[in-house]
Amino acid sequence: MKVKPVNHARAAAEFIEDTPHMTFHDERLWDLRQKRDQQMHILPEWQDLRTLASQIKEHTLANLPEYLEQFEANARKNGIHVHWAADAADHNRIVGEILEKHGAKSLIKSKSMVTEECSMREYLEPRGVVVTETDLGERIQQLDDQMPSHIVVPAVHKLIPDVAKIFAEHYHTDPKDNDAQSLAWQQRLAARPVILAADAGMTGGNFLVAETGTFVVCTNEGNADLSATVPGLHIATLGIERLVPRMADLGVFVRLLSRSALGSPITQYTTHFRGPQEGSEMHVVLVDNGRSHRLGMEEFWTSLKCIRCGACMNTCPVYRRSGGLSYGAVYSGPIGAIIDPTFNERKYSTLPFASTMNGSCTNVCPVKINIHEQLYKWRRVLAEHHELPFVKREIMHMAGKLMGQPKLYRAAINGTEVALSAMPRFVLYNWLNPWGKHRELPHPVSQTFHNWYKKNRVDAGKAAPKATAKKGENA
Amino acid sequence: MSARDTILSRLRDNRPKPAEHPLPPVARLGDMDNGQARFENSLQILGGQVLERQEGDTLATAIARRFPDAKIVCSAVPEFDGTIRIQDLASPQQAATVDVLVVRAPFGIAEMGSIFLSEAQLHNLNSAAHLTQHIVVILSPADLTANMHTAYIERPEFKSARYGVLMSGPSATADIQGVLIRGAQGVRTLSVWWD
Repeated sequence: MKVKPVNHARAAAEFIEDTPHMTFHDERLWDLRQKRDQQMHILPEWQDLRTLASQIKEHTLANLPEYLEQFEANARKNGIHVHWAADAADHNRIVGEILEKHGAKSLIKSKSMVTEECSMREYLEPRGVVVTETDLGERIQQLDDQMPSHIVVPAVHKLIPDVAKIFAEHYHTDPKDNDAQSLAWQQRLAARPVILAADAGMTGGNFLVAETGTFVVCTNEGNADLSATVPGLHIATLGIERLVPRMADLGVFVRLLSRSALGSPITQYTTHFRGPQEGSEMHVVLVDNGRSHRLGMEEFWTSLKCIRCGACMNTCPVYRRSGGLSYGAVYSGPIGAIIDPTFNERKYSTLPFASTMNGSCTNVCPVKINIHEQLYKWRRVLAEHHELPFVKREIMHMAGKLMGQPKLYRAAINGTEVALSAMPRFVLYNWLNPWGKHRELPHPVSQTFHNWYKKNRVDAGKAAPKATAKKGENA
Repeated sequence: MSARDTILSRLRDNRPKPAEHPLPPVARLGDMDNGQARFENSLQILGGQVLERQEGDTLATAIARRFPDAKIVCSAVPEFDGTIRIQDLASPQQAATVDVLVVRAPFGIAEMGSIFLSEAQLHNLNSAAHLTQHIVVILSPADLTANMHTAYIERPEFKSARYGVLMSGPSATADIQGVLIRGAQGVRTLSVWWD
């Protein structure tokens, strides 16, 4: 059976129906975008940092095999066990085997998009491992049995009463608790004993450093450092694209990461792991899962530069008003829309259309990924691969014919004036016309520009006048 | 073929041309002020504080005033006793009972108000820095570096420590409806004592 494409538009429509949630979501993310701008304006070197970050990442990706080998050699020298996972199944098997070898039955972990990508919890739990997310937002999502809706703030689509309800159910706290501080305290109280009793800890990671065999974890809550240092076994899982060549390159990325993500100068914790603690064991799993394939896609390989800050999501008008869960994928928002189709072209064929093409995602990206251009290119690829839904394909087909023939186009445009003013609403606002959903169609004009120009040009009826403006004047 | 060889050979086949993507030289950009005032301002932005020093104060009297209810004050420095030495903490479980941990940072970063700690300062009990309720960090103004670039270029600890954490204020979260909470799952407060 063929997999069905994610119905982003329908899920977004449901999200929009709920005004309090949608309004909060929209405003909260826009606030993060504004805080990011304030940080940017403090640093005159901001654009230089973006350029450097982009160049360092492109260089690293072009030399990835060599740098990965260098990382592996250095990490091994420091006593880290290095594993390679070609896909999600590999990754889960490797983690499962490490845990089994240690007889580990309880695993505490910090937020990791790679483990989400691999559906690791779903793999480990039937094998008798209790996996506890320790990041507050991620824990809320785990208890609510939902994917993270944002790569940095996983429960950003929820309001305080939603969290109070979930905690009441699982932590037996007051369901009417309306105080974020007190709810966060409940999480601390619930997590501590689990952390102190855990058999193993797991983290993701933001950067790998080839020069030293280090991996770096940037977090705020302290849960990642607890997960890494309390149990005697630390497993870190990272995508192979997370590399930078030199320790000194981190200066560029750490200065950009949290400023772009949350508008804070740096995360509360920036932790450098170069080897296991005395008497402990440390493992790093390097995960491919489609990345080496993506590197060969001429138009899309630069999406591997992504440092997962979420700035493109915070600024995107479609994401802010549709919520991360509407994308039906681990990675949502603009970056998700260009990465997800590489995992499953058909399932995620709708996502590159969840954009207004305003280019804001590209402008805020700290590593200069041309996100909106890649969205456009994906639309073309999907059309070529026949992954467009029937209505969209037919409308595009008709529009293409219409725009290719000026006479037909003008006749049609004159016709829309009549149509927009005379047709009953049910004809204009129905399932064949997605532009009529959630928005009013433009008021019809009494005269098109073309008709006005025909009547008003100086030498009406004769050859069109030569342009008098100097070339480039209006550019 | 092993997963390792599969991945590496696919990367070799698929990668863009290395010659078209040279590595830029190491960057050393931005404000080079490594002063105490800049550090304190950054520390405050991230929710940290400077431990108040009244006339005649020692570290012990300043801590007693700031944390009057603290029962277990753990010292990781020779110049201060506390109620227990970090070397005497047998396990993370015991470290979790500590109210205040006193430790010396080898350096701080003025741009971020960050302090650095590694296994050397934590006596190989790295979790102690996160299980304690509060942390007091002794820092010398002479050990401030200007920003992230100078820190990574100049400080040897990044290449020698097995565990190196930059702590920038206390633990924090804004995961519940965007409300910023200082004191999430790690330390609830972070105070700097200039010395």
